[in-house]
Amino acid sequence: MSLIELVRLAFSRLRSGRMRAALTMLGVVIGVASVVALVGVGQGSTSNITARLSTLGTNLLTISAARANGGATSTLTLADATAIGSIPGIAGIAPESTTQATVGADGETTTTSIVGTTADYANVRAFDVWQGAFLTDTQVERRLRVAVLGATTATDLGLDESAIGTDITIGGIPFRLVGILQAKGGATFQDPDDQVVIPIGVAQKYFVGDDAVRTIGVSVAEQSQMTTVQALITALLRTRHGLAATDTADFNIFDQAQLLATASSITGTLTLLLGGIASIALIVGGIRIMNIMLVSVRERTREIGIRKAVGARGRDILAQFLIEALTLSVLGGLLGIALGLAVSALVARVGNISFAISPATLVVALLFSLAVGIVFGVWPARQAARLDPITALRYE
Amino acid sequence: MTLTGGTAPAGTDTPIISLRGIARTYDMGRITVPALRAVDLDVQSGEFLAIVGPSGSGKSTMMNIIGCLDRPSAGTYHLAGTPVEALDDDGLARVRSRTIGFVFQSYNLLPRTSALDNVATPLLYQGVSRKERVRRATAALERLGLGDRLDHEPNELSGGQQQRVAVARAIVTDPALVLADEPTGNLDTASGHDVLEVFRELHRAGRTIVLITHDAEVAEAASRQVHIRDGQLLA
Repeated sequence: MSLIELVRLAFSRLRSGRMRAALTMLGVVIGVASVVALVGVGQGSTSNITARLSTLGTNLLTISAARANGGATSTLTLADATAIGSIPGIAGIAPESTTQATVGADGETTTTSIVGTTADYANVRAFDVWQGAFLTDTQVERRLRVAVLGATTATDLGLDESAIGTDITIGGIPFRLVGILQAKGGATFQDPDDQVVIPIGVAQKYFVGDDAVRTIGVSVAEQSQMTTVQALITALLRTRHGLAATDTADFNIFDQAQLLATASSITGTLTLLLGGIASIALIVGGIRIMNIMLVSVRERTREIGIRKAVGARGRDILAQFLIEALTLSVLGGLLGIALGLAVSALVARVGNISFAISPATLVVALLFSLAVGIVFGVWPARQAARLDPITALRYE
Repeated sequence: MTLTGGTAPAGTDTPIISLRGIARTYDMGRITVPALRAVDLDVQSGEFLAIVGPSGSGKSTMMNIIGCLDRPSAGTYHLAGTPVEALDDDGLARVRSRTIGFVFQSYNLLPRTSALDNVATPLLYQGVSRKERVRRATAALERLGLGDRLDHEPNELSGGQQQRVAVARAIVTDPALVLADEPTGNLDTASGHDVLEVFRELHRAGRTIVLITHDAEVAEAASRQVHIRDGQLLA
């Protein structure tokens, strides 16, 4: 018997008992749907993290002052930043001195972060300029009162490209607006687009009041040099801060990419775990199919006897019952994929959770339901194939 | 109804069924029950033979062995020249598929399956294409006067009609032997006569028929009778 004949036979059988077929499939439907939905959510958060990784700036090291002794003043200085700049392998260095202030333009005001930094900031933190230009080295050196707005801040103040070159006020002090940054979107704790960037000297003079810097962003030229550069910076700063070998460092160097890579591998594990739990549902669905098929073999003993009497061999009966189980499981798998996609789309929309489903996931889910059909269909099918025709014909 | 066609009977020199010293014993744990003891029987091609015996006489066992549903414990059995006592399960299935058409007392049609599909089922296991199956099953049903019942399922047919569907299924493969086990047992007298008339027609068309029954009146339909009692044929 050809495969087509067998599938046709299986479908006509399923049609004659639609309700039972639907209920039998339900287990596989739910199993596959949960695999698809949970793996989708897992993969979604992984790809979300990967995307965020690239918006942070490539090969970024952030040096921050450790507030040892509860002291209010930062231990990092502009001179530290300049000294770090001479370490080989560094592509850009951006010391930051940050505060909060009220920004005003044409009667609109908003309170936001004021970041005093250097011209390298755009490269180090991976910002693109939308309108105008970023701070220049000259502006930073001469401590000109110029400002670049983040996209969100510009929107809050109702400013667009026509405002470039006009004056805004920061903490009541007039600044010339020279540029507006491209929006980056999506960050975990703080909107990177809600900020005002000004020359660091200006920020220290008007808002911070000393020459301390809170953090120094360092962009390393090559990924492979990250560890070396980090060690060199540590050594340099320890010397500059006069720390003995046994002293605790008064600064931290933080590799965000490293952190996110770790986070990404954690969500990867989580995805596997969720997929694994969902697979258990799928296996339970398979056992359900086996159960129903065993009942079916018993109920159809006489049919099996008749088929054998008119010439069916054991393998014909085996194939018939196996294909029936497979049809149930694969049909359940397809419905499960549809349901899983629908549920994840709904959850993603309502719960604002990103979800991503690769074609590979769908193929694996389908193959898995196929495997479930084979594994749990073989035994009932063998039972059917082994029936003795005389006994089967006499069965009431 | 006209029943024409079918294979012309082969030469009468070689019997189509040849049983020699056939015995069948059932193992019931400690004791063995002999159901058949040393049966010799020849059936010529084109014969209509009735095997008559009361229940417990061993006629069902005869039917199972002649029908290749069971193997004898001893003896040799040639069906259309093939020694079948040594065949494995697949071999027996092949012989059933190609050489034998069954008609049972309780019709044994597939439930929830149209008359057409029921009749076409033996052809399915011969690997006949769907189109050809439909053509031959339709022809067989038309021969038995059921041309207007092709799409009816067994529960929509009378007992007599169901048995005629079963006969159509038995002859659709054009088998060398039609084997009928109490074919009138579940039918009223009129339908029973009707079905026996079908067998006589098939016989006239040259088909070999073996009918197994306990009913002497039914056996009258056959051209030859053998009687079985206590697992032995009576002389």
